[in-house]
Amino acid sequence: MRRLWEVLPGPAPVKTIELVVLAAVALAILFFLFEWAGDLLDSGGVIGA
Amino acid sequence: MGCAGLVLAFLGYQLYVTDFLNDRVQAEAMASLDAELEARRTQLPAPEPVEVTVPEEVEEEAEEPEPPTFVRTAFVPESAVPQGEPLGRLTIEAIGVDEVVFEGVDRETLKKGPGHMPWTPVPGQPGNAVISGHRTTYGRPFYDLDQLEIGDRIEVETAVGTHVFEIREIHIVEPDDVWVTEEKPGAWLTLTTCHPHFSARERLVVQAELVDGPNFEYASLLARAQEGQDA
Repeated sequence: MRRLWEVLPGPAPVKTIELVVLAAVALAILFFLFEWAGDLLDSGGVIGA
Repeated sequence: MGCAGLVLAFLGYQLYVTDFLNDRVQAEAMASLDAELEARRTQLPAPEPVEVTVPEEVEEEAEEPEPPTFVRTAFVPESAVPQGEPLGRLTIEAIGVDEVVFEGVDRETLKKGPGHMPWTPVPGQPGNAVISGHRTTYGRPFYDLDQLEIGDRIEVETAVGTHVFEIREIHIVEPDDVWVTEEKPGAWLTLTTCHPHFSARERLVVQAELVDGPNFEYASLLARAQEGQDA
């Protein structure tokens, strides 16, 4: 986390915003992956879809 | 550590968070279902008088078979509701299922509860109405579907009334075995879900025949007529 903070460009307030955006993107990707992988557990039981 | 955390987060999300989300949607839908069905009831067309040609029962000793007869009965039609809307209430006492059924089997609709395949008849109408539901996530409405036995009853309440079905067949099939959704003589209800637990490899299919409800007489006559044609 500290390393990421050091790598981010700009002053501290800008880095904070960048960090928030990165966290949101990471969460969105994670959510998408969870949804996709969830279909392997249980796709809803539809026939022929 | 990172990977283990990710797997735990995934399982927690699928097994608990999705249940929580589904519980809220089901509770809201259940609270307003009676009012919605009542509102829909006022817009339904009147029952239609219909005639069905039914073959006479053939006795073995009879020299000549009796000609078919016309039987007058009433048919209570009901059309589907818009995609994603509540269609009715599914109750399976044997396994404690009491869920609002929604119209559609797309991903978003199935997150809300069991979904009715839009290209099949509404439950209680002639043909084969198909309802699909999650087995292990999103409220897991069909978790115990494998506990059902031949003869168990399934009830579906729609705007025209309560339709009672009795289980006749249970199958485990491949996900693309669409024959289980094909038309059947009379009125049938087919429930489908993933099989086994925690896997979407196969489908568990429960097929039940209408034994009581507004269209029971009409559906029975249709089934007899169909059997007569096939004989």
